[in-house]
Amino acid sequence: MIARIARQLLREALPDFAWRRRLTHWRTEIFAGFVGAVLVIPQGINFAWLAGMQPEYGLYCAIFVTLFASLLGSSSMMSGPNTAVAILIGAAVLPLAGRGSPVYVDFVFLLCLMVGIVQLLFWLLRAGRLFQYISPAAISGISAGAGFLIVMSSLDSLLGLSSFQTTFFYEKLYVILSDAVDLVNPWSLSIALITITAGYLGREYSSRYFLLIAVAAGYLAGLVVAFIWPQPVTELEYLGRMPIEWLPWRVPTLTMEYLMISVSLIPYAVTIAVIGLAQSLVIVRELKMETDQDIRLDKEVYAQGVANFLAPFFSAFAGAGSFNRTKANQALGATTPLSTFAASVFVLLLVSALGPVLTWMPMAALAGTLFIVGANMIKWSDVQHYAQVRSELVIYLASFLCIVFFGLASGVTVAVVLSVTAFLLNISRVELREESTQAGTVLRVRGALFYASMETLSDAFHRHLQGDLTVDLQYATHIDQSAVDFFAREAAQMRRRGQTLHLLVNATQGHFLQAMGVGENVRLQALQDDAPPATIPFANLQSATTTGETR
Amino acid sequence: MFQRYLILAALLLAPAIHAQQDQPSISQLLQEPFLDDYYSNVVYGYEIVTDSQRHASRYVGNALNCSSCHLQAGTQKDALPLNVAGMYPKWRAKNGKRNGIGLRIRECFLYSMDGIMPPEDAPEVLAVSAYVSYLSQGEVMGAEPDGRGVPTLPDTGYDPNPASGRLVYLQQCASCHGEQGQGVGVAPPVWGLDSFNRGAGMHGIETAAGFIWANMPLGRGRSLTHQQALDVAAYINLQIRPADPRESRFLKLLEAVLP
Repeated sequence: MIARIARQLLREALPDFAWRRRLTHWRTEIFAGFVGAVLVIPQGINFAWLAGMQPEYGLYCAIFVTLFASLLGSSSMMSGPNTAVAILIGAAVLPLAGRGSPVYVDFVFLLCLMVGIVQLLFWLLRAGRLFQYISPAAISGISAGAGFLIVMSSLDSLLGLSSFQTTFFYEKLYVILSDAVDLVNPWSLSIALITITAGYLGREYSSRYFLLIAVAAGYLAGLVVAFIWPQPVTELEYLGRMPIEWLPWRVPTLTMEYLMISVSLIPYAVTIAVIGLAQSLVIVRELKMETDQDIRLDKEVYAQGVANFLAPFFSAFAGAGSFNRTKANQALGATTPLSTFAASVFVLLLVSALGPVLTWMPMAALAGTLFIVGANMIKWSDVQHYAQVRSELVIYLASFLCIVFFGLASGVTVAVVLSVTAFLLNISRVELREESTQAGTVLRVRGALFYASMETLSDAFHRHLQGDLTVDLQYATHIDQSAVDFFAREAAQMRRRGQTLHLLVNATQGHFLQAMGVGENVRLQALQDDAPPATIPFANLQSATTTGETR
Repeated sequence: MFQRYLILAALLLAPAIHAQQDQPSISQLLQEPFLDDYYSNVVYGYEIVTDSQRHASRYVGNALNCSSCHLQAGTQKDALPLNVAGMYPKWRAKNGKRNGIGLRIRECFLYSMDGIMPPEDAPEVLAVSAYVSYLSQGEVMGAEPDGRGVPTLPDTGYDPNPASGRLVYLQQCASCHGEQGQGVGVAPPVWGLDSFNRGAGMHGIETAAGFIWANMPLGRGRSLTHQQALDVAAYINLQIRPADPRESRFLKLLEAVLP
């Protein structure tokens, strides 16, 4: 048993390159990887800024997290720097040290190590399927909330103000409007506006590369400004040289003091692990539905875990699957991890080659792209989409508003709790239908009979104080001990009132109920057909059950 | 009697014990396995000052380190020591503003390091200002520390002469800084595109002469005469180096194109 599980885990743990049999158009894959690399560079730099890290760490994330995830995964999902993960890293570590300071960087890597460990635990416990209980509405709400946070945090750089945080977003707007209007840097603002305008115009032209168009426009505007007005006059901020190494090996600091302090990071590590896996698995599940890739969810969980665990050793912070880059990758026809692998190599090559060009990238242009990225994550169509079902809309709006007012971590918690609650409410709902026949009242039960659904059942029982009662259990999906106890208790009471409780069961249920000790008071009636087809709709129930009753 | 001596000894030792509770030295800090936020920034600042090429490469545009001019990592008197945190904010004629220590450090990156002015909240800037605060411990707030900047040379009665400066340079300086001023090994380039630009403080003849007289040749400071130092400074000042970033390239182009 244990040996079998261990063998299965080992099989998942080793890269198997099973996709190479599907590899037919390797040129397509490599070109898709190139596009992915071009798309990820501005994102990596921006998300590093969101995480409070120097830009090169974001690029290392785009290189190494992508690389490990592609080597160990089985899908063409593009992993790498992720908005929600980056914001959460910033939120977790900023209380401990100043942005980008050596202690800060150490703590970030410690946090990413913990994220990797938590994700690997998820893999070992086969908990990947837990994430299907997080509703798509929650993921969309989290994404929209993260977009809002990104827009708010891009405002500082966009206006050329030094970054500041407030408890609530409207305080920030108030501070900017009331105190900082005369501090706004007009050059920074114009470059950012050019970037944003170019982005929105470019989206009309190309929905895939508009971010690149925006970055290019902002960069050119920055060049023109730098050519006409010198930096001491404009006081524009530039990206600066990035000291990119090909193998940025580093050992995370693991002293006792660090570990003591990093206890406070554990909730964040769990939140980041959950949100990273949730997003990645949504992407993977979509890929599985839309393409014919041979995707195993557990293997993807493992790949994410290992990628995030190894990331700190290569100066990269944690990442997750990326919706937009996976979409672009898919649109270009990539179906194997080869494109992801190519993307990570191309990032390394491109950044090495483009380094001197990127040096003079104005931070305002990057803030402009960040603004576009954030604004794109808040979609009115999402609200309309989820408005169809009330519970979905509540989950969406609650997680969005929680993130807006209380931060991403609490928003993620609320989203998870709400979607699990909605799920539990759905499955604990039993449909009951009462019918009066010659033999007495028949109560047809549909759904799971367990401790949470007993309330509904007992209400129905207490309405019947006279006459025999037959409970039809053939469409009950699950019966647990508390349901058995309930029947035994009720039957005893009914007997005292002179009533009889009949349970209409199939053979399996009959054996189960007897084994669980349902008692003498309950009359079990066996159905003729032991295995009724599982998909009979409720309307056909009557005809199906009458045969059982006649016996 | 014995007890009285003990109390006396304790009283005498008290300042010494107090001194031991002083801030730790950089070498002590470097050996600590764990540093709090302040001291880790101090150490980071120290690393930036001594090895700007590696630790602050983001904003450095030439081949210099901070410690190329701020000798001994900014602890040597008369060589632009960095223990000046108590003097800021202060008005400076260079930009006509009241400068905090942050702006002062950022301008160093722009002029002396011929790079990019970092943002106010760049980790590098904050680390160097933490290091400056660390070095300033014990100084009087608002007062000029002893040996600040470089000594002002007295009027020698003669103009600085670049031609004789060239001779002095070849004799005294070229063995380390190279005949073309390109710098050899740890000796930094003193002109050329890898050196400070025309906006830097060292581009002033008086500042450069004071620095050279007090500190150069390295280890044999004050061996040149005042006039020799002025001559060398004038010679170096005439050489090619990056342009002043305050000048607009656009206006230069206009001047060149328009008659």
